[in-house]
Amino acid sequence: MPGHVSLEEVRKIAQLAKLSFSEEELTRFFQDISDIIAHFEKLNELDLEDVSPTSHISWSQPPMNPDEPVDWQGSDLVLKHAPCAAGRYFIVPKVVEKEEKLS
Amino acid sequence: MEGVYVTIGLEVHCQLLTQAKMFCRCSTDYIGKTPNTLVCPVCMGLPGALPVLNRKALELAIKTALALRCEILPEVVFHRKNYFYPDLPKGYQISQYDFPIGVRGVLEFALEGERRKVRIRRVHVEEDAGKLVHEGLGVERNVSGVDFNRAGIPLVEIVTEPDLHSPEEAKECLIMLRSIVRYLGVSDGNMEEGSLRCDANVSVSLSPDTQGAKVEIKNMNSFRSVFRALSYEVERQAALLREGKFPVQETRHWDEVRQVTVPSRGKEEAEDYRYFPDPDLLPFRIPQDMLEEIKATIPELPLQKKERFMREYELAEPEAHILVQDKDLAEFFEACVREFPAPRTVCNFVLTEVLKNLNAFNMTIRESKVTPGMLAELLRMVERKEIGISLAKGIFEEMFATGMSAREVMAKKGISFLTSERDLEKIVRQVIEENPQSVADYLGGKDKALHFLIGQVMKVTKGQANPEVVKNLLLRELTSGE
Repeated sequence: MPGHVSLEEVRKIAQLAKLSFSEEELTRFFQDISDIIAHFEKLNELDLEDVSPTSHISWSQPPMNPDEPVDWQGSDLVLKHAPCAAGRYFIVPKVVEKEEKLS
Repeated sequence: MEGVYVTIGLEVHCQLLTQAKMFCRCSTDYIGKTPNTLVCPVCMGLPGALPVLNRKALELAIKTALALRCEILPEVVFHRKNYFYPDLPKGYQISQYDFPIGVRGVLEFALEGERRKVRIRRVHVEEDAGKLVHEGLGVERNVSGVDFNRAGIPLVEIVTEPDLHSPEEAKECLIMLRSIVRYLGVSDGNMEEGSLRCDANVSVSLSPDTQGAKVEIKNMNSFRSVFRALSYEVERQAALLREGKFPVQETRHWDEVRQVTVPSRGKEEAEDYRYFPDPDLLPFRIPQDMLEEIKATIPELPLQKKERFMREYELAEPEAHILVQDKDLAEFFEACVREFPAPRTVCNFVLTEVLKNLNAFNMTIRESKVTPGMLAELLRMVERKEIGISLAKGIFEEMFATGMSAREVMAKKGISFLTSERDLEKIVRQVIEENPQSVADYLGGKDKALHFLIGQVMKVTKGQANPEVVKNLLLRELTSGE
């Protein structure tokens, strides 16, 4: 339903974002998100029948890169500052599933 | 299978052949490189880094869509596909959603010589993820390592409509798709190395009027495993249906070792990627002149080439089919025919000797030291009966191994014109005439007499002839003289 968000949806969004909140926090976010959506509901008062969806207001030609590789020398530093690294790898908890997630 | 209705759709990812990554300037030459050396703030998702599109990646994706006869959508819009996985540094993949590069295309291929068609639903461009490693320097047993060298390499994703009706069709369709991306030069299409990846949706029904459950199959790493996984899956679903059970709509993994599909341990809940337009990348319109320029670079595609070869060179479909699968091989064939205009002779030699030697050395025709001109010269020598075909095959092997011309091989091996087949024939006849007793013995059933005759020919040629050729010539002369 437009203009509404349920507490369950807020819980799901938090879960998808890998964030955990207390019930109090969830209620507060629920209220905030509801208010934000209500605010945007004002747009529905406009007649936008003939306007195509706009993902950005600018339509100029953006700059593009040439297909020429350039070395970057900072990878050692990034590895050094990583929460966990070993050898040349960033280390993460064991990923059980064999598949490489990509679709 | 009788009474089994199979519906298959493919989802194929190809790494695009750019030098630099899709949104940064890191090199894409990642195979065998030290982990995390081809990286930068953009492809590692460091705060504040901004993506800038590689023009070439866009061009290659458009080229793919055009070759698959897609409508090109005028606007390029990138979306963020949000999910958490350790190989995805930003927490989202830059992909495309409601404005893919191309839609509603067609891919034509052949199954046992018969033209087939599959509709293309969409072609879009997106970035590759990093690689997870479970063993390697510093990677202990209870952890995984992440290498971002691959992260950000441009991919084109090609999604077909569910128009395929057997594992055979799916495999041929995929082979044609690989052929096309290679012809276009947009991807090297190597399934084993992962520059071409294929997932498939399969549903099976026992009636043409009902749709089965859609099961997605992943983790197929070769054309053979695509065929085997789909065959297994069709069989599995059909067996369930015959027992009155229904297959579950799910994602399954092909287990190469056990040759079965197994349910993925992924989340039960449907994925929610919360796509939204990437605010870091401005949407833009593809300039018309860019489209025209790309269109002009699309070469003759495999199916057209095959039909032309059948028409122009009067080749049979199965031979033409094999020749055109590899663009370089097809070009080698044509170049050779230009210098030695006997297409069927050239085709036969290419499909037997050339392929045999390429396979033996695990090489591509591009890596071969034998040029079309060198093969034409060899075939001309056979035509002039300077050498026989069996000797020619041996000479070709040597040419292939050393890069020497046919005449150089003959000089080095001491195969002079004396020992070429035409001259050998004379010597063979002479030896036969001079040894009537041995001839009679051989014809009387004494096989040993043949060895004596071979020995005589070898003596006259001072050991320079190929005994196998001599034997064949002797047999021919002796039996024709009966």
